[in-house]
Amino acid sequence: MLEIRSARKVFYAGQPDEKVALDNLDLTLQTGEFGVVIGSNGAGKSTMLNAVSGALPLDSGQIAINGDDVTNTPVHLRAKRIARVFQDPMLGTAASMTVAENMLLADLRSSKRTLSRGLNAKRLADYKDRLSALGLGLENRLDTKVELLSGGQRQSLSLIMAVGGSPDLLLLDEHTAALDPRTADLVMQATVRAVDTLKLTTLMVTHNMAHAVDFGHRVIMLDAGRVKLEIGGEDKANVTVAKLVDHFAVKTDAMMLGA
Amino acid sequence: MMEFISSTFTSYVALVPVTLAQSFILAFVVMGIMIPFRTLQFPDLTSEGAYPLGGCICGVLIAAGVNPALAILAALACGFLAGCCTALIHLRFRIHTLLAGILMMTMLYSINLRIMGKSNLSIFGSDSVYNWAPFVTPGFPVSKIIVAGLIGAAVFLALNWFFKTEKGTALRAVGSNPAMAEAQGISVWVSTIVGVGLASAFSATSGALMVQSQGFADVNMGLGILINGLAALMIGEAVVGKKSVWRQLLAPFVGAIIYYQLVSLCLAAGMPPPDLKLATGLFVLAMLALPSLKRGRGAGGSPAREKFRE
Repeated sequence: MLEIRSARKVFYAGQPDEKVALDNLDLTLQTGEFGVVIGSNGAGKSTMLNAVSGALPLDSGQIAINGDDVTNTPVHLRAKRIARVFQDPMLGTAASMTVAENMLLADLRSSKRTLSRGLNAKRLADYKDRLSALGLGLENRLDTKVELLSGGQRQSLSLIMAVGGSPDLLLLDEHTAALDPRTADLVMQATVRAVDTLKLTTLMVTHNMAHAVDFGHRVIMLDAGRVKLEIGGEDKANVTVAKLVDHFAVKTDAMMLGA
Repeated sequence: MMEFISSTFTSYVALVPVTLAQSFILAFVVMGIMIPFRTLQFPDLTSEGAYPLGGCICGVLIAAGVNPALAILAALACGFLAGCCTALIHLRFRIHTLLAGILMMTMLYSINLRIMGKSNLSIFGSDSVYNWAPFVTPGFPVSKIIVAGLIGAAVFLALNWFFKTEKGTALRAVGSNPAMAEAQGISVWVSTIVGVGLASAFSATSGALMVQSQGFADVNMGLGILINGLAALMIGEAVVGKKSVWRQLLAPFVGAIIYYQLVSLCLAAGMPPPDLKLATGLFVLAMLALPSLKRGRGAGGSPAREKFRE
């Protein structure tokens, strides 16, 4: 379970270009719930995700995961509970290291790293198995450096890395935005499969309204740093792209085209 | 002409054992430069101060009658601390790594002078680790080659093992992508401090070994060591590559051996020693400029980051 309580974050406080990114934001995500966050640029989606992951400290407010207050916990300690897939495929993986080494790093996210050999036979077999689920042939490229993979392959790898070890909370930060439509679809399918199978508590930010309509249990729309709209349960099943777009203050054709 | 070649060759060959001993000792500085530059992506200049620091500490301790191996360990520990300071200056105050290194190196100069109390100290004739070499007469280059070579081999094997452990893999991840490493639960602070500390520990060890080899310590002994080390590292990487962990770790040793043989060849051919720094600098510049020259002038301004294939 994720709880965000009266989260406030102001950039450039006291300067002419002061920007309230999070305005006493309240949001609760039940265990096993898949929340989809939408909102126009500057609505505070990324700020919220960064605040949850710990990359950005809050000015005030609390963040709790499964009831434990993590507001002042640094990123690397929060990582024991949170896994994240970034928008940029370059960010989520260590480019100069091999596929297997990246898997190992993710594997050890929530455990203590020791001085024993990292890539042992048992782990390699496990990684092969998990990567083969993607159907991209990555299982045969365990010793390939990640920098030689395509953006789609890297993002798929990021996803497998993130869902491994069943994190308490999975953050997806527009993770298909940088991919071509076919690859985006592939990664999205893999995401939904993993989230459903593992019953992961998931918070996904997206600009793709079709994804917001098709996936997740609840749509959360942010505007000016607060929750403007929440659609869950029955209503979520009946929502359409057109209805969602209606709620945006500024509508662009791109949103409709995204459908 | 023939005469010049033959005389050059004769004096070069006579220098080979001495040069080889020197390369094995200085390979540790090259290692101390390689780890921050390549493994941690933390361009670091601390070695220029850590190397004489190790030398000064070792010199003072040996002059005081301390066991030479113990003196090396003390130098190693102090080098480690110096590296930790550089990393801390960078992490805590967000000062550029190069500037943090320059600050540390400058401060270490005074510290080194304080440690020795004078600018140089002779320990000639004192016991040294080279006297413990098996099967050979102490004092000859061969004994130095054996001792420094054995320590080097041990360091190579230890690092090759360490970088493949869970902790070692995490350390490499911090150099490869700090944001990702942090998101995977790795403390960038701890890894950077330990990594840069380790590197400076090697530089200090090198200084300590050198002092025992040459029989004196000097506060200025670090002058230019960084650029020599960089040149050696680049040669090593050009020869053995850097595509895998063990190749990257082997590069400092191979590079140090080849680089100091080249220097010795230049000296044997009659190059005035003061010109060496210019030659080394030009060489490093050429190695750094090569990729941009290959790309041609038009692409010269493009970012130096590696691109990935789509």
